[in-house]
Amino acid sequence: MSVRVDPEGNEIRALFDLVDLSGRDVLEIGCGDGRLTRRYADSVSHVTAIDPFAEGIKRAEQSLSETSRGRVEFQRIAFEEFAAATEPSTFDTAVLSWSLC
Amino acid sequence: MVHALEGIRRLLRPDGSLIDIHPVLEAPLVEIHRGGVVAFAESSPSYDYEEDLRHAEEALARIVERGLFVTDRGGEFDFLTYGSSVAELRDFMAEAGAYDDRPEDDAAVARKADLYARVDEVMRASGDRAEVAFHERGRMARLTPVR
Repeated sequence: MSVRVDPEGNEIRALFDLVDLSGRDVLEIGCGDGRLTRRYADSVSHVTAIDPFAEGIKRAEQSLSETSRGRVEFQRIAFEEFAAATEPSTFDTAVLSWSLC
Repeated sequence: MVHALEGIRRLLRPDGSLIDIHPVLEAPLVEIHRGGVVAFAESSPSYDYEEDLRHAEEALARIVERGLFVTDRGGEFDFLTYGSSVAELRDFMAEAGAYDDRPEDDAAVARKADLYARVDEVMRASGDRAEVAFHERGRMARLTPVR
């Protein structure tokens, strides 16, 4: 039996309760292995999901579904470096995914 | 952290929003669930990120005080990770936390080993339907940039 992470869907339910991601351009900071990204990716226009941890990004890319591939971009990069290389006012929503601390 | 939040604000469109998700300021629980009932629950001794959480809360409060963001809405939710055995759950948590290379306090490591030994004992006596769970409580808030 594999580990089950939030099978109740409490986290994604809380997210959808706070924000409508339909058609949005999303930046997820601290995406890890893409656990949360996969749950909302089909809703958005595009999501850029970043994390400096290589192993997490590798697992995230491997576990991405075919239907989500066109709208999800995982990058192995720290936020400061990403922000410095990104134009202002690029995203509709930024998600700090358990990464502020 | 404040600098990162300022950077996020720059990247957001004027009508955009920031969603922050982080653990609440209380220790997570290690539980055993059997047939929908919590048969065992004890605070995890590996709760060593309280200081980081306080800094995160302070950073969020500071950007609101400075008028960079306003907090629209928020709430808390339960976040559980289940394993069929203690070993399975611990391996998963170790892999999930591998990005954090800070050394763990020896006393905390010993307390964690002691807790999980007891959890393992209860699990073995609980039968096939039991699962061990790491139960965190998360806080999620929506903040809107002020222009």
